[in-house]
Amino acid sequence: MVLAALTGVGFTYAYAEQPALVGIDLQLEEGRLHGVVGLNSSGKTTLCSLIRGVIPHFHHGDLTGEVVILGRPLLDWDPAELSRTIGCVFDNPFTQISGIRETVFEEIAIGLENLGVPRDEMIERVESVVEQLGIEAIVEKNPNELSGGQRQKVAFASIIAMDAPVVVIDEPTSQLDPEASEAVFEIIEGLKHRGKSIVLAEHKIDLLAQYADTITVMNEGTVVMHGPTRDVVGSDEFGAYGVVPPEVTELGRRLAAAGKPLDRLPIKRAEAFDEISVRIGRSTHAH
Amino acid sequence: MASSRFATFMRGYGRLTIFMIPIGIAINFVGGQIALLLKLPVYLDSIGTILVGATCGGLPGALVGLISNGINSITSPPTFAFAILNVAFGLLAGYFGRIGVFRTWWKTLLSVLPFAFIGGFCGALITIWVFDGLAVGGGAIVVGALTAMGMDLNTANFAAQLPMDVLDKVPTVLIVYAIIKGIPKRLLVKLPLGRVYLGQPNPRAKKPVATTATQP
Amino acid sequence: MTNNAVAAVADRYRQPMTLGNAVLDIHPIAMVAGITALIVVGLASAGWIVPLAVSALFVGIAYLAGRGPSYLVTILKLWIAVGLILFALRALLVKGETVLVPLGPIAITREGIENGLRFTTAVMVICGGVTLFFAIVSMRRLMLALERIGVSPRVSYVILASFQAITDLGATARVVLDAQKARGIETEGNVFVRARAFFPVLAPVFLTAMTATEERAIALDARAFNNPGRHTSLLNLKPLTAVDTVLVVLSLVVAAAAVTGGILGWF
Repeated sequence: MVLAALTGVGFTYAYAEQPALVGIDLQLEEGRLHGVVGLNSSGKTTLCSLIRGVIPHFHHGDLTGEVVILGRPLLDWDPAELSRTIGCVFDNPFTQISGIRETVFEEIAIGLENLGVPRDEMIERVESVVEQLGIEAIVEKNPNELSGGQRQKVAFASIIAMDAPVVVIDEPTSQLDPEASEAVFEIIEGLKHRGKSIVLAEHKIDLLAQYADTITVMNEGTVVMHGPTRDVVGSDEFGAYGVVPPEVTELGRRLAAAGKPLDRLPIKRAEAFDEISVRIGRSTHAH
Repeated sequence: MASSRFATFMRGYGRLTIFMIPIGIAINFVGGQIALLLKLPVYLDSIGTILVGATCGGLPGALVGLISNGINSITSPPTFAFAILNVAFGLLAGYFGRIGVFRTWWKTLLSVLPFAFIGGFCGALITIWVFDGLAVGGGAIVVGALTAMGMDLNTANFAAQLPMDVLDKVPTVLIVYAIIKGIPKRLLVKLPLGRVYLGQPNPRAKKPVATTATQP
Repeated sequence: MTNNAVAAVADRYRQPMTLGNAVLDIHPIAMVAGITALIVVGLASAGWIVPLAVSALFVGIAYLAGRGPSYLVTILKLWIAVGLILFALRALLVKGETVLVPLGPIAITREGIENGLRFTTAVMVICGGVTLFFAIVSMRRLMLALERIGVSPRVSYVILASFQAITDLGATARVVLDAQKARGIETEGNVFVRARAFFPVLAPVFLTAMTATEERAIALDARAFNNPGRHTSLLNLKPLTAVDTVLVVLSLVVAAAAVTGGILGWF
């Protein structure tokens, strides 16, 4: 099934001067990791909010065009049902902690409590998520006293425990250090392996190139590029919208410009490593 | 159909108020704490009540006041006798908010009089009724001194509390006014009384309805 | 921490909650009944000895619950800040026939002292009971008990989130205040100088806290906060035990007896 189908979609926030989205036609398949990139205020967050139903149910405004989520028009969804079906994690680690629970274990269980999951099942699910994310060391800590990176992991854990088939993730690493960012991407990769549909707005393009199946590039409220990650990131047009290509792609281009092109343009670090290893005549398995 | 959809939305969303109440309570406490820290001769412990009343309505404001006094009485139970004042501040702020008092600085400043009347006059009445005119708090010593100088006990209560409340409410309503001025529009549209401060009628006040109209 | 340790934590949530102390483990609702009954006994008496005795009993209960020292500190502070002033004002200002110590225009009278003792001990028995309740019942346990009898989880949210918001906002405000000091904005000096420091510290902090409610609403919605169905609870609060029930019944009997006794003037 199609996760989200947008036809001629425009959106202007109430009282805003400019539209946030203009004439969007986009189709996102289920079971994939869809990356969304673009400069600040290019419409990434608005697109995420729309797929999550936060627009227009929470952020009011003028919505035009047709939005179909999992085969059902957006406005026919009951908001509570939609938020059960589509989980979400966003950038601010501090506002995603409920502030009403005393341990991380209890914090992770909060969504399950609200869903009315029986206690024994709830405990099992929390245990399993804790193990999946490797956060055993903090289960007894007070979630209100954790670092930003730890809070973000707990936020992921709360959402993953609820086991929604779709997760919309908006700039999850923008307030985190590189180490915590890597950890968050590993979590997202794990979700992908378990067959979840993921929409991920992110500016760390190196990481996105590594994990995403498709990339959507947004600029001034419109979708300017959309397609399989390799096609989009490897395209010459990619850099035109202020998005910086991955370091390794840039490296490949520079080599090509210097008259020494690689066999194929790398978009992932591993690919670049392989290509360059071949070039310098040494096996990748040598060490 | 449209109205039932709207009801569904209200059930699911549009409930920012429930998240504003704890913030209002925290503002009451922190305002009071910082006033103590800066050794200011005023309480400044009803900023949250009036702020939430002015932006979310009288009932949420009253709840902020009630719970604030409730939490205070965990460590100082006599405070609870005065909860009704904080509740009244919230209700009155809701009414004032609705009629647009907090939109202009001079009307805001005038609202000090009714607030101080509640705080000072009704506060004195509670002291007289509940504590026979001899409650504790900032004013108690003043009341004691005035009585010792030969003033009637009831008169002493009013004489001590009214000026103190005027002094307290001037900075309180001014900070409320300043904060409301600073609230971004996108937040205001989600608050029950937000439209009062948005000034112009919302050009896009339509309920969320998807149309199939194409973009120009 | 190993997975075994997590399993141990998980197991603890499977068991009914216990705080390892018979007094602390009393059901919050039975606790409300018990403490209220004792307060009623204190208030029903016409003298000051019974309320004083009940106040002492509260201290004893706090010690049994293992919260003795901190409770004693709280209650002594209250006696000094509230009790002493209430007593002194009454002793000085209530007019009476039997003058004990003449002090110029006013006088300490026997009636004043009696009135003061009676009123002070009555107010303090209420204070003692309320502070005792919150010293031995955590807000979390209380809200859990209330949710059990049908109070909405939204009410729980508002109360519990308020405490966290007070902590968080207080910390932020102090950080900003310190930063202002470091930038040379006066926080000492005369009252006008200090008052001027208040606005730039607090207005932005309060505004940020208000703006953050938007994200909080979205985050909690994602945690099914708005789910209309029945909610369950991870914490396993024991239902009222036989001991709790006996305590509730006993409290009702004691309170009724005290009111009757008070009316008939037994004590």
